[in-house]
Amino acid sequence: MFSFALKNILFYKGRSITTFILTFISAILFIVYVSMMDGSHDSMLKNSLKIYSGAIEIYHKDYRDIGGNEYLIRDVESIEKKLSLVDGVELFSSRYETYGLLSFGDNSMASMVVGIEPKKEEQLTQLKVALVDGEYLKYGSQNCLYIGSGVAKRLKVKIGDEISFIGGASDNSFVADIFMVYGVFKTGLSEFDDSATFVSRDYFDKLMLSKNIASYITVKVKDLDRVDEINSEIIKLLNDENLESLTWKTLMKSMVETMEVDSIFGYISLSLFLVVIFFVIMIYGFINVSSRIKEFGVLRCVGLSKKHIFLLLFYEIFILSTFALILATPIAGYICYYYSINPIVIEGMAEMYKDYGIVSDEIPFSFDIFTISWNISLIYGLNILSIIYPYFYINSFKSIEASRHV
Amino acid sequence: MFKLILKMAWKNSFLRLSRTLLVVLMISVSMSMMLGIAGLYDGMTLNMIDKTKRSESGDLSIYAKDYRVQKDIKYRIENAWSIKKELEKRDGVEAVVLRIKADGLVSTARKSSFASIIGIDLDDEERFGRFSEFLKKGEIDLSKRGAIIGIELAKTLKVRIGSKLVFSTQDISGEINSMALKVKGIVHTTNIGLDTGAVFIDKQKLHRFLGTKPDEAIQIAIKSEDKKLLEILKAKYPALEVKNFLELQPMLKQMQDMMLIFNGVSFAIVMGVVFIGILGVMYVSILDRIREFGIMLGVGMHYKYIRLQIILESLFVGLTGYISGAVLGVVLLIYLRDYGLDFSAFSDALAMWGYESTIKGTIKISYFTNTFVAIMSASMLSVIIPLRKIKKLNPIDVIKAEK
Amino acid sequence: MVGDKVTLEIHREETLEEEDSVSKFLLIFFIFTISLVANEAQDIIKKLDENMRGENVSMKMTMRVVSLSHERTMKMQSWSEGTKKSFTKILYPPKDRGITFLSLENQMWQYVPKIERIIKIPPSMMLQNWMGSDITNDDIVKQSSIVEDYEPKIIKKKNTLVTIELIPKEDAAVVWGKIIINIDTTTYTSNRDVFYDEDGEEVRQFIYEKVKKFGKYYIPTYWRVQSSSKKDNFTEIILEDVEYDTEISQHYFKKSALKRFSR
Repeated sequence: MFSFALKNILFYKGRSITTFILTFISAILFIVYVSMMDGSHDSMLKNSLKIYSGAIEIYHKDYRDIGGNEYLIRDVESIEKKLSLVDGVELFSSRYETYGLLSFGDNSMASMVVGIEPKKEEQLTQLKVALVDGEYLKYGSQNCLYIGSGVAKRLKVKIGDEISFIGGASDNSFVADIFMVYGVFKTGLSEFDDSATFVSRDYFDKLMLSKNIASYITVKVKDLDRVDEINSEIIKLLNDENLESLTWKTLMKSMVETMEVDSIFGYISLSLFLVVIFFVIMIYGFINVSSRIKEFGVLRCVGLSKKHIFLLLFYEIFILSTFALILATPIAGYICYYYSINPIVIEGMAEMYKDYGIVSDEIPFSFDIFTISWNISLIYGLNILSIIYPYFYINSFKSIEASRHV
Repeated sequence: MFKLILKMAWKNSFLRLSRTLLVVLMISVSMSMMLGIAGLYDGMTLNMIDKTKRSESGDLSIYAKDYRVQKDIKYRIENAWSIKKELEKRDGVEAVVLRIKADGLVSTARKSSFASIIGIDLDDEERFGRFSEFLKKGEIDLSKRGAIIGIELAKTLKVRIGSKLVFSTQDISGEINSMALKVKGIVHTTNIGLDTGAVFIDKQKLHRFLGTKPDEAIQIAIKSEDKKLLEILKAKYPALEVKNFLELQPMLKQMQDMMLIFNGVSFAIVMGVVFIGILGVMYVSILDRIREFGIMLGVGMHYKYIRLQIILESLFVGLTGYISGAVLGVVLLIYLRDYGLDFSAFSDALAMWGYESTIKGTIKISYFTNTFVAIMSASMLSVIIPLRKIKKLNPIDVIKAEK
Repeated sequence: MVGDKVTLEIHREETLEEEDSVSKFLLIFFIFTISLVANEAQDIIKKLDENMRGENVSMKMTMRVVSLSHERTMKMQSWSEGTKKSFTKILYPPKDRGITFLSLENQMWQYVPKIERIIKIPPSMMLQNWMGSDITNDDIVKQSSIVEDYEPKIIKKKNTLVTIELIPKEDAAVVWGKIIINIDTTTYTSNRDVFYDEDGEEVRQFIYEKVKKFGKYYIPTYWRVQSSSKKDNFTEIILEDVEYDTEISQHYFKKSALKRFSR
């Protein structure tokens, strides 16, 4: 039966070629499209994780909802000791965030001032990369302030200017200081650039009485796919119900949802292409079958059962699809793989986004064997589905009748 | 003669009924799906752009220099009233509104939040952007101490209709003043900035509160289709900042462009595949009847009549597909326009980008005209290859051939 | 209660015309009593307010702020005149010594010697806690409003203790739904102010004790501010060296004072 199917394929060239090409195109389109979509979502996520948010962040309960000095973490060192025991954790750093009034001359604004460990943040985030003027902070850089481009614009300050700061320390007592503008950054997250400023923790802690105290601890994991696993390990190790350890999935819920919505739309569009292609493959299969009614009639007369006929059709489409996919998969796979390593750079986008700081103009693809396999299976499935109507069509003829069909 | 050919073409189109129906089905399903998707995407962006324009930016906006950076009432347009009068006289300017705006703190006994107070003239806003359509709860009423606030701000402050708010800000002399307001309405503009931080009050009241003169404004928003207006106004008011929608909302504009490209590409791909489908059917149906054509040629029928017949046949199939696709598409689009797709499971994300949780489609005539042209051309083109085959026919061979 | 009777009388006047003259008399009588009652409440509040500030007043204050994990003590001296002018200087702790505040009309400035800067407090900071206490900047700047912004009504009278409910006037820019004040009319001082939100839920309390007489004025010398949701946090203020109606130099109420009196 198999060789018979093969012969048929070779005989009905038009149908075979069209089916082959369409399967080939749809497979490539499908795999590449999904890979591009997943890849750009991944990069969106990674970019925003790189900018400031951590893959995992550890808070005192209620800090995120209510806030205030009551909900600061007050034993940073012991937590950090525990974190260094967790295998999947690559790096972590504590941050002390506070809101205060910054003023320069007649201009003043409420701003977030964050005490950070400059060296660690450099590896954790894009803060240093986002530098547009002056210099990035370093340990011991005293009262140097690293400010967002929006803050600089609003206060009308330049490098070297002295900004006064008033706010509250970790014990709610009054705090005032003079900071010197040391560097300006622009990440492209406008809300962040318009309100955030950074000071090295070693200096800030003395001012805010925040040694061993943190607003939260941000954690970078070695493998982002294992983030849930690592997080539960952290929670187990911390073993403190006053603390909560959250992954990016909770921290950036709206971003995760955005990607989901985007995927839904992506799949809606893809389904359109697949439906159209499915129809065409079916039409070609149908035309092919209808021109072979006589042949099928004869086959039935010589004793082939309906099951055999189905098998014949199945083999035909199976062989065609397999050939197409054998050719398409490596090509599509290679495209995905290539662009996952060398992301597409949209030239115009960099230009268009130049006002948005370091937002990436790269669209990397994702290369994931699992995704590719289910994509291929779906195409197989669709192709096999496409023989069902033609099969029923043939069976609607009685064998004798069919053998006389012209 | 022509009538006969027409008749033959019609009959032939449906000779192999199931085959033709498959093609028609393919065209109609893919076409209606495509229309649905295009309508949904366009609806999404258009809705957002439309609401942003109506609620805030207009097609053009004029600010005093530096205002957009400093956001301080020091930077205001002094002769805004006369500029408005002048603009209104101009052809192509549909509506002009003046707004005054100050940033400050809005508070209740328990909560407080940064917010912008925006002084508006309700009649003008209604003409400008049908302001009342944004209303979610309460009523559009700014009389006395009435205020209308954004929906997210209402959530943050945990206030409802009738709640009291105190808004504090600096007036032009630098003094911090507070005023009591009563929430009369809650609006959902899907313009994130406004939804999370706008308190609308009567413009004259805000003027008195801030100490600004009634003919001053922070923003002059203009509704106009006139593309040249931007340059004209830039030249006319060099001391002010005149910005068009693109400059005010580059992200939105870019999104619109992306959607256009995306829809165009999908359209091309789908039509390409549809073309292959029609081609296959036409080709086979001609091959099937090659003897018939041979005979026709043999009895002396001119090639061009046969060509005409085949073209008509193909057009019939295409047209039937188009009509059923259009009908299906209209139904789908009307459904999407009136009911939309419910994405409330993702409302957080959608709100972040300024979408509503139910995404509604739009209907454009161009969808139907474009697909009509595309499907008809695909049908026409699909007969070229089969026709070539017939042209090369030697009638005698064909009739002899035992198919 | 009183209000109910009035509507009743009005109603009667409309329906029973034969009793016209009687009801008119009653109406006038009730309006008279209401205004008398209202005046009484108003008077009490005015006297209370006078006691708190006199023509002018200067005092030393010790403020103890207790929040969950620790407590802090601050000492300061303040001078104020009427409702619109006040000047405050921090004396203790050493790290904050010399910080001065000036509020004039509705504006507030702060001078911080450590950074040698005068900073104007913007509206967005007005609801911040003042020096980390349970008192907001807004409380300090808007001291006046108790007389001007509220409609007082006596809700309970027991011997010399009067309970007054303050309902904000229609267009008063205050956030409270109401304030209930317990006043001792022998001294015209409050022993407890309870602040409610619009839904009638308690938000915070001021508790006053240890009333002392300075000149012709009575003032509680122990204050305690307690947020209703955070029971463990409170701020105590003890007043000392209170002096009323002395010659306060107008120099205190100028921006130049911020630096000048910092030392």
